[in-house]
Amino acid sequence: MSEFADPYSERPFTLAVPDVELELLRKRLDLVRLPDELDGAAWHYGAARADVARLVAHWRGGFDWRAREAAINALPMFVRGVEVEGFGTLEVHYVHRRSGVEGAIPLLFVHGWPGSFLEARKLLPLLTAGSPEYPSFHVVAVSLPGFGFSEAPKKPGFAGPQYAEVFNKLMLALGYDEYVYQGGDWGHMIGVHAVHIYGHKHIKAWLTNLPIYRDPTLFTYPVYYLQKLALPITTRFNDRARIDYEKTKEWYKRGTGYYSEQATEPQTVGYSLADSPVGLLAWIYEKLVTWTDHYPWTDDEVLEWISVYWFSRAGPAAASRVYYEMTGGYAYEYWKGSERTSVPLGASYFPAELTRPPKQWLNMLGKVVFQSEHDRGGHFAAFEQPELLAGDLRKMFGKGGPAYGVVPGKDGYN
Amino acid sequence: MAGSTEQAFTVAVPDADLELLHKKLDLARLPDELEGAEWNYGVPLADIKRLVAYWKDSFDWRKAEAEINKLPMFTRDIEVDGFGTLNIHYVHQKSEVKNAIPLLFVHGWPGDFLEAKKILPILTAKSEEHPSFHVVSLSLPGFGFSEAPKKPGFAGRQYAEVFNKLMVALGYNEYVYQGGDWGHILGVHAVTHYGHTNIKAWHTNMPFYRAPKLFTNPLLFIGMLAIIFDTPTKTGLVNSMQWRTKGMGYYIEQATQPQTLGFSLSDSPVGLLAWIYEKLVTWSDKYPWTEDEVLEWISIYWFSRSGPAAAGRIYYEMTGQNQHDVMEGTKYSSVPLGASYFPRELVQLPKSWTSMLGNVKFEAQHDKGGHFAAYEQPEKLAGDLRNMYGKGGPVFGIVPGKNGYD
Repeated sequence: MSEFADPYSERPFTLAVPDVELELLRKRLDLVRLPDELDGAAWHYGAARADVARLVAHWRGGFDWRAREAAINALPMFVRGVEVEGFGTLEVHYVHRRSGVEGAIPLLFVHGWPGSFLEARKLLPLLTAGSPEYPSFHVVAVSLPGFGFSEAPKKPGFAGPQYAEVFNKLMLALGYDEYVYQGGDWGHMIGVHAVHIYGHKHIKAWLTNLPIYRDPTLFTYPVYYLQKLALPITTRFNDRARIDYEKTKEWYKRGTGYYSEQATEPQTVGYSLADSPVGLLAWIYEKLVTWTDHYPWTDDEVLEWISVYWFSRAGPAAASRVYYEMTGGYAYEYWKGSERTSVPLGASYFPAELTRPPKQWLNMLGKVVFQSEHDRGGHFAAFEQPELLAGDLRKMFGKGGPAYGVVPGKDGYN
Repeated sequence: MAGSTEQAFTVAVPDADLELLHKKLDLARLPDELEGAEWNYGVPLADIKRLVAYWKDSFDWRKAEAEINKLPMFTRDIEVDGFGTLNIHYVHQKSEVKNAIPLLFVHGWPGDFLEAKKILPILTAKSEEHPSFHVVSLSLPGFGFSEAPKKPGFAGRQYAEVFNKLMVALGYNEYVYQGGDWGHILGVHAVTHYGHTNIKAWHTNMPFYRAPKLFTNPLLFIGMLAIIFDTPTKTGLVNSMQWRTKGMGYYIEQATQPQTLGFSLSDSPVGLLAWIYEKLVTWSDKYPWTEDEVLEWISIYWFSRSGPAAAGRIYYEMTGQNQHDVMEGTKYSSVPLGASYFPRELVQLPKSWTSMLGNVKFEAQHDKGGHFAAYEQPEKLAGDLRNMYGKGGPVFGIVPGKNGYD
């Protein structure tokens, strides 16, 4: 049977940006017009001009996209059609690396914004390695619809349940009826819905590196609510708690401009992101720097990251829509429609994460069976601290761990 | 310091800049759009396609430039304490009425000095029926053809200083002030520092001050709606809240990371077009924008002296990177105040709250018009100013020796 007759069958995927696209990018870079910058403003008003200018120069001169593309193509990548109720069939792109261990635990890794499937890259060798010391995993790292090399939905309303449907159908199609889930950023925020809908039946447990959920209210969680009211005082007596509290407040004051715009007018900002490589670069690079824990980005890493957006299948503007769809155009919080489940939940705490609510509040999301606190790492944990995150997965799912054997017949060992 | 630095000013965009713009337009890469998106996700693709095509093939910047150059424009150096000298651009149109009232018109974002162009002939007209004004319409520092400040911290006090020094340098020791958007907000600052001594009265088309504490709590707010206010006021409040929750993306980004956004606005004419055009449409009262009007408006930003990225910094500086509100550093002033209420203005607060803003002597409610009142409804706005300052009006003769009539 021809592979093209059945839209649901898997095809290997090779990234091959057409020459004409590279040529057009080069032309746009040649015409770049940079803004000025206030004296001493670097990084206080947004992405620093000197850094952006350096990156643009490297992009024009030294950055070798074809070499990066070839390295990406060394990953086992595929596309397959996934039907989503009400949205037709979307071609979904993913990395799928199987472990040599037959009983490896199937794990779905979900990225966020401005991330991509490549965030799993450093985790792959760690998670798929076999050893009597720790469990092994079969890893699937999907490109969210609208990101990377997955198709984007064509109509409004593609939100939590739809993303969850894509994930679940993909895992089922790969033969993983029961699996575990790992995510941060939208990977976490969408995970909240995936676990709500497919938890227990398919998603047996999950680990988040963005351990947040709703705020407690007087009526829903009175004890946590009182705790929240007392935070300005109680945090004075605990350095770590005070730092977390200040950080979270800072985030809400200074860190949410991109969120607010993308949740209300993603198309408007999308025109800039689609048309200007330096505009897209600055928009994303600002987060790569400010959201990580002093990660020593190389210019090549940054430009590869931006290129995945620039050359994405749906274009850079499509990705921003997730903010709008998940919040109803900023009418409600992303978690609306989800509920607490008893699906085993693990949480990895990295110190430079953007918001750090009190740890007990995670009980509002699920049955917390695993917690791990680290002394380094930020928002892009899988990319910044792969050993630490992989270590958490191993501890959570390994022999003696709180979620050991949670996928029947696939405990991660030979 | 001998002599003034005033020079006549003409806009003369270099050919190379026009060529660069057109090269960029030729390479423009547009995004796709969700089915049925219309205006729900931002500017519709069809609008941008239409405007970009027109920009490439039909829009005649040189013609627009020549029209702008018919206005009496100047630049002069204004020294600002702690910031050195800024070269400030302005329109200065004098009335033939010797005792015309000196009026400073201040634009906002994404506006510019040209917002005054329709009220200029009306305000400067001579008649026994209404007062006449000498009008100064400046480009805010960092906007249009004024220089931008070079270091952080240029906020309310500094803008007020520029305004006052400019008017005094033009021979207008005592004057009146009109503004909307940042023009309104900076008016509160200007009146705080120069009220009574120099600014004898002022008028706003976007009347708001700090909301009473009670009303910053959303629950209380919703509860109070039902009890206190009549239907039009309730509608206005709901619209204002709507804007505050769903219409603030541009505000928060510009108030917190203006430089990041600035890379897009400097580099992409299409990006800049969308960013501003969205406000031209959503903030006006169904104003029938022509392609020429829109593209001239965008071009002022694209070809601005300091570049399009500089303008957004006003949000950052005036809020301390979103740490405080824009009225920080102001205080209530008894300088006579006039307010015009336009139905599609962004913020529509209970009229009773205007008295917290100032010493209300004049109010006018209109049934048409939005945020860009001077541009959308020039007759109505100019009419309000005439009624406020004219014979029989509440602040007639407020500027000694310059009551607007000969």
